[in-house]
Amino acid sequence: MAVDINTGLVALGSAVAIGASAIAAAWAEKSIGVAAIGAMAEKEELFGKGLILTVIPETIVIFGLVIAILILNLSGA
Amino acid sequence: MVLKPESMGKITLVGPKSYREAVVAELHRLKILHISDHAKTDDIDVGSPLEKANELSEVLVKIRSISSWLRVKRKNNSEELKIEAGYDLGALSKKLYLEVKQKIEQLREVEGRVSANNSLKAELEALKNIAIDLSAFAEYRSIAYFAGYVKNLDGIENRLRAITEKFELYAAAEKGKNVIVLFVEIEKKNEAREILIQHGLSDISTQNLRGMRGRAHDSIRALEEEKSSLLKQMEKVTGSMGKLRLRYEKHLLFAEDFLEKELEKAEAPLRFAETKNTFVINGWVPEKDAEDAMKKLNAAGKNKIFFNLEEPGKKDSVPVKLKNPGPVRPFEFFMDLYTMPTYRELDPTFLVFLTFPLLFGFMLGDFGYGLVTLVLFIALKKKMPKAKNFFNILIFASIATIFFGLLFGEFFGFEEIGHFKLPHIISRSHQVTELLYLAVAVGVIHINIGLIAGFYNELKSHGFMAALYAKGGWIVLQIGVALLALSYLKIIALPIYTGIIFFVLSLLMLLKGEGIRGLIELPGIFSNILSYARLMAIGLSSVKLAEVINESATEMFHGGGFLILTGILLLLVGHIVNIGLGLLGSFLHSLRLHYVEFFTKFFHGGAKKFKPFGAKS
Repeated sequence: MAVDINTGLVALGSAVAIGASAIAAAWAEKSIGVAAIGAMAEKEELFGKGLILTVIPETIVIFGLVIAILILNLSGA
Repeated sequence: MVLKPESMGKITLVGPKSYREAVVAELHRLKILHISDHAKTDDIDVGSPLEKANELSEVLVKIRSISSWLRVKRKNNSEELKIEAGYDLGALSKKLYLEVKQKIEQLREVEGRVSANNSLKAELEALKNIAIDLSAFAEYRSIAYFAGYVKNLDGIENRLRAITEKFELYAAAEKGKNVIVLFVEIEKKNEAREILIQHGLSDISTQNLRGMRGRAHDSIRALEEEKSSLLKQMEKVTGSMGKLRLRYEKHLLFAEDFLEKELEKAEAPLRFAETKNTFVINGWVPEKDAEDAMKKLNAAGKNKIFFNLEEPGKKDSVPVKLKNPGPVRPFEFFMDLYTMPTYRELDPTFLVFLTFPLLFGFMLGDFGYGLVTLVLFIALKKKMPKAKNFFNILIFASIATIFFGLLFGEFFGFEEIGHFKLPHIISRSHQVTELLYLAVAVGVIHINIGLIAGFYNELKSHGFMAALYAKGGWIVLQIGVALLALSYLKIIALPIYTGIIFFVLSLLMLLKGEGIRGLIELPGIFSNILSYARLMAIGLSSVKLAEVINESATEMFHGGGFLILTGILLLLVGHIVNIGLGLLGSFLHSLRLHYVEFFTKFFHGGAKKFKPFGAKS
């Protein structure tokens, strides 16, 4: 199946958008998660707060996904 | 109203000390008063515990040790523990304590001997093929010896001969490894050891062999005999402990329960204020129960108790008891998990009850999956009544999933069954962009519900203008940006400056209402709204995974024969995994949208939970 270079670049662009933002989100969540687990080990009631703090950076990857979809749509692919 | 916690009355109770015990007992029975702990001041000290507190805690400690030694465990089913009345708990605990303690000491001693026996046996086993008498392992003045495993034997003897003539080397194979024992003159001890280490020596301890005689074989046999008799002893002791457990299990559990309650009562005065002759209890009581409680307490205190009941003051930190009708109550679980709303703000439980299942259903959104999870959670609820609340939430969520499954026209990822196309309002796998818009629209609605709730909270606490600036500002901001975007894209025919006016107006309002912080957080509201795009994202990934499973399985079915079996297996495992992932994702993300995006618009929280004296925690 032959795909022209432009389509390939569009696909790559959206892949970078979601891939890079996913790495960023994971990186941020890693540090927060470690701290949150540490806090929870000391005080179990912090579960709710720990959960929230841990998932806050998740929005980053959602933005990445939105951008990826926008790239695909705007390029008319 | 469902959105408000139970109204509380601040109660002060003063009485003569002679009625203290009777009042405490009555309070414990009523389970209605949240005691505010008195902090010691110069004028008035905290109370002293009832006299029996010491004795009670002593007996309780004994009972708990006995229970832990006998491994008495509380059963899950909370059957009422009833035992014949009228026996002396103190005496029983003392007698039983001594008996069990003696048994446990006996057991530990035997266990110690078994482990010594094991380690000695291990040493002997290693050396059993070496042809020397055990008495050789003694203390010498002029000879040193090593015992151990080496990797290879080649050349050891020659190398030793190079340093000394005075040595004796024994070697044997044991379980595929080379065991050696080397006796060497003490002056060459270090050099000899060096050589052995080069051959990969790992030592075998000979510590315990001192003073033994004869060949290792015979000693091993003796050890085995000893061990079996030790094990028999152990069995006997554990057997008799088991009998004790059977006999006293109920007594112990009952005693622990009873003593805990009595001790709580006996120590309650530590939370009171007390003078020489009177005691004062400060606390909180639900307003509707106050009248009745005062009557009953007065009866217990022979009408010698003085009460004062007042409305909570502005600065009081009132303990909060949520008040929600039956179906909403399970969702109080989310407040326990996060934090209690304060007394004066909205209780978000009802709002969460309305929207949590919807967001969850939007993400999982499959008729078949909803049915499976519904059945699963109804069954689990029966099985684990303790987690009833949690499962009730999930049952609501499953029903919403079924509902959204109908909207999306999905059944286990299939959009058509046979040749019948399932009707749908929007197809998730084909209308991704529309789904994205829909998700963001849900976000706009949800966030604005939050802002309206926040408006109400501000209105109650800081008045209309503050509420208008702080919460209304955000709404005007959204209108402004929407107008800007729509007129820029020429979707509506309005001059572009109408949007700008709204935008600037909202900036001023926010600056006034929330200060600089509000301006800094300006982009936050849009990232909050965009965050709802996850409704599409999670859903899409779940649908696509389901489709992949279905397609691969269909291909296998066409293959026929053995492949049909594999296909069925793939369908089963694949959908189970996908349901598991979907449940986890939908639950956490729906929860997160509430906690992070929704609650931050109105909710403060941080109140203490209402915990009446005498109620189980």
